[in-house]
Amino acid sequence: MRTQEAGVDSTPGARRSDKGVGAALQRKEDKRHLFGRGQFTCDLRFPNLHDVAFLRSPIAHGRIVRIDVPEAVRKQVILAADLKGAQAIRAVTDAPGFKAADYPLLAFDKVLFVGQPIALCIGRTRAEAEDIAQQIEVEFEELPAVVDMLAALEPSSPLLHDSWGDNLYLAREFEAGDIEQAREAATVVIEREYRLNRQAGVPMEGRAALAFWDERLDELVFYNSTQMPHQVRYALSLHLDLEERQIHVIAPDVGGGFGIKNIVYPEEIAVAAVARHLRYPLRWIEDRREHLLSSIHCRDTLYNVKAYADVNGRVLGLDVEVRVDAGAYATWPNGPNMELGMAIKNVPGPYRISAYRARGWTVATNKSPIGPYRGVARPGACFCIERTIDEIARAVGREPHKVRMENMVTPDLMPYRSVTSMLYDNGDYPQSVEKAVDLLDLPAVRERQARGEPDGRLIGIGFASYTEQTAHGCGEWITRGVPIIPGYESATARLLSDGSLHLLVGIQSHGQGLETTLAQVAHQELGIDFDRISVRHGDSSLCPFGMGTFASRSMVMSGGAVAKACRILKGRIQAVAAQMLQCAPNEVEVRNDRAFGPNGDVSLREVGQVAYVRQEGLPRDGSPTLDVNATYSPAIDTGVFCYSTHGVVVAVDPDTGYVEILDYAVVEDCGTIVNPLIVDGQIVGGVAQGIGNALYEEIPYDEHGQPLATTLADYLLPGSTEVPEIKIAHMCTPAEHTEYGMKGMGEGGAISPPAAIANAVRDALAGLGAELCETPITPRRVLQAIHIAENRNGVSGGES
Amino acid sequence: MSSIELSVNGKSVRTTVDPRESIGAFVRDELNLTATHLACEHGVCGACTILIDGAPVRGCITFAATVDGQKVQTLEDFEDEPLMNLIRSCFSEAHGLQCGFCTPGMLLIARDMILRGAAGTSDEIRHGLSGNICRCTGYAGIVKAIQLAAERARAAGLAAQPA
Repeated sequence: MRTQEAGVDSTPGARRSDKGVGAALQRKEDKRHLFGRGQFTCDLRFPNLHDVAFLRSPIAHGRIVRIDVPEAVRKQVILAADLKGAQAIRAVTDAPGFKAADYPLLAFDKVLFVGQPIALCIGRTRAEAEDIAQQIEVEFEELPAVVDMLAALEPSSPLLHDSWGDNLYLAREFEAGDIEQAREAATVVIEREYRLNRQAGVPMEGRAALAFWDERLDELVFYNSTQMPHQVRYALSLHLDLEERQIHVIAPDVGGGFGIKNIVYPEEIAVAAVARHLRYPLRWIEDRREHLLSSIHCRDTLYNVKAYADVNGRVLGLDVEVRVDAGAYATWPNGPNMELGMAIKNVPGPYRISAYRARGWTVATNKSPIGPYRGVARPGACFCIERTIDEIARAVGREPHKVRMENMVTPDLMPYRSVTSMLYDNGDYPQSVEKAVDLLDLPAVRERQARGEPDGRLIGIGFASYTEQTAHGCGEWITRGVPIIPGYESATARLLSDGSLHLLVGIQSHGQGLETTLAQVAHQELGIDFDRISVRHGDSSLCPFGMGTFASRSMVMSGGAVAKACRILKGRIQAVAAQMLQCAPNEVEVRNDRAFGPNGDVSLREVGQVAYVRQEGLPRDGSPTLDVNATYSPAIDTGVFCYSTHGVVVAVDPDTGYVEILDYAVVEDCGTIVNPLIVDGQIVGGVAQGIGNALYEEIPYDEHGQPLATTLADYLLPGSTEVPEIKIAHMCTPAEHTEYGMKGMGEGGAISPPAAIANAVRDALAGLGAELCETPITPRRVLQAIHIAENRNGVSGGES
Repeated sequence: MSSIELSVNGKSVRTTVDPRESIGAFVRDELNLTATHLACEHGVCGACTILIDGAPVRGCITFAATVDGQKVQTLEDFEDEPLMNLIRSCFSEAHGLQCGFCTPGMLLIARDMILRGAAGTSDEIRHGLSGNICRCTGYAGIVKAIQLAAERARAAGLAAQPA
């Protein structure tokens, strides 16, 4: 089904190669992991390494009255007052009305969520450090916990941050078009409440930090499992009294991130703050319980929608309220406001909607802070609009996919300015629906449904589409009010004296395979043997400054920077080779590790020799070395939009409430694909996480603010038997404003599954009149939905 | 402290261990065998899978003190094994790994399934893998890699026929 056509001959003389852009190459990073020789932070060995365990708050809300540390271990325990020269985290965004509050590295006056760090304990082993933590006694004056985000907004609610006067981080409003007119014109009104419950990100490797002071270099060395080492250096310079020249951040192998490691956490800064005054290395390796308690959580958003449509299901207007339960603190750098802003922006989805009103509130509660997990607000926004489209279709008696397609932005309207001012660049959205319908063979599913299952299960089919802004530039980030604008990436391309190539990049790769795909880009531009290219990343002293891997930006941004640096480098190679070949630089063609002139050729090794160690061969005006640095931003700020339709067939057991996925299809268009193996891997991995969101993953809190899922026994992750084979079909509309026509796509797989699966369950239960408007769709919730429908309709009633 | 004597990757180890220390932590911290990863430390995710007397076990919830007299193997013991090298090449070919953190556990389970003749259909492989969590790949590449490796191992006489 793959229809990928990479139109890549971007420079005269460049040739299509089986190892350039578009090639399904096996990854450079595989070998070390397949031999168990990866170097994750926990695998690093240093003499006299000490381990950290944190004493964490056992209560959700309270004042710390007294902390008793036994004298015998006092030197191994760091309390807030012992942290010298370290600042509390203060994420201040430019979003109007945003209320900031200090997030202390270690709590000292109040604790605001279960799991908040209070003391840093140092031992020769983690076990010893935990033993020390257990000897500390903390007396609390417990305060009532703010657990429910709606109750949190009541004037009578207890306050988390006393100076705020309420529990509201920020409120936002948006209005475009005439919503009243849409309401008056509507023949169909759909009103729903949707909820995506709180979950965690759970990369296989948890958070990790290892720090020591390097006496020779007079710098702090900070190994960190992070998606953004350069931003970590910046963050440490803000929070410690060190200059950036004295901070060296290294992200070694990083065992997954998904947004969870796109935050600089209080624990990490505390480890750095303590280690800089020690004579031995200090490390903190998060365990799984700590992860579920205190790494950022995500989702936890409530949508109330009123949708107005005409008799054919054409959407006339949307009136939406969004509430985000953001937890206790704003994390660094972006705080919790991205969720709300992106939710409001993305609810209209790939549709032509002319009247839209949205109001939203980001609320503080006594829970772990939330942050940007894969897809950020988009899985919720997609759930909101896609469930609603299906309900509109049901109300007008039509197949949901048809109503979906008819409401979509069509190719002739591209580029299309959405009602929330996003500029959809290109593509054929309705065709993605059509292909997904074909992949699942909708008529066959409808037939099967009509026949009924011998085991009494109910079959349902559902679809969900999205369009995802990726690789957006400076202007877009400014509108979001973020304090750091990640509008570019950087790369150094360095041809060495033997003709091999170093790419030093500011991006960070932790599973995305950028060591491979960036080498493919360099091979595309320079024709250098793929095996003679090394990609270096994740080191703030070695590599040029870059923002890191998030927001589906890395391949477009860093790939663009590598392409640009390689083209400049090629010009330098041509100049040196021209002198050697006695021709004009523009007559030199670089390919197959050689430079060809009209009358002969030289190897890149020979060119490298001249550039580095035999500079008498350089042109008169040429400078030695072959070392080029470039930064890159896409030609537009508004992003390039990757879009997709997911379709799923489920079987729902009405007796147990269990949902089984029978078939799953993804049709997606991410423009030019650099490595199909890696793109498909990202899609399937994203879908698996989306299935977790849809069916399994949840951290409920009880009325005292105690989290009820703190192990993988009660926090369920999708396993190999829960994720089906995924059918994938690619469309390819190259972006006009990026190198090679690439679009970002890393997050997309996780956006649609909750909506598509909920629509399929809805379809399965249509005969019972039951519907699911909340994730995860657990057996208990399915049975509850059936029960409610039965009560409403009388046991035999229902709709078709 | 408990005295134990065991074989780790063919080498005899005689030492004392804290009774609460897991064999997973022991091989990592005392023997510097870091292929074995600890990811949940309560027996759910399978990243710490090692072999004890040839059978896969959870390294994180098996106390080192209980392994006295037994034979422990970690991924490092299979550097030159033809079957494991075949599995490795299939993992790379089928893109069966992304971040690599779960990979050592996946490889040991894959090898066990292939040797037992329990890696025939993709359904069978998925059930065999259900005690090992991967958060990146969505399992498709892993399943395909194991299927490929099982076929090639059988063809090369390195593995049992399907049960």
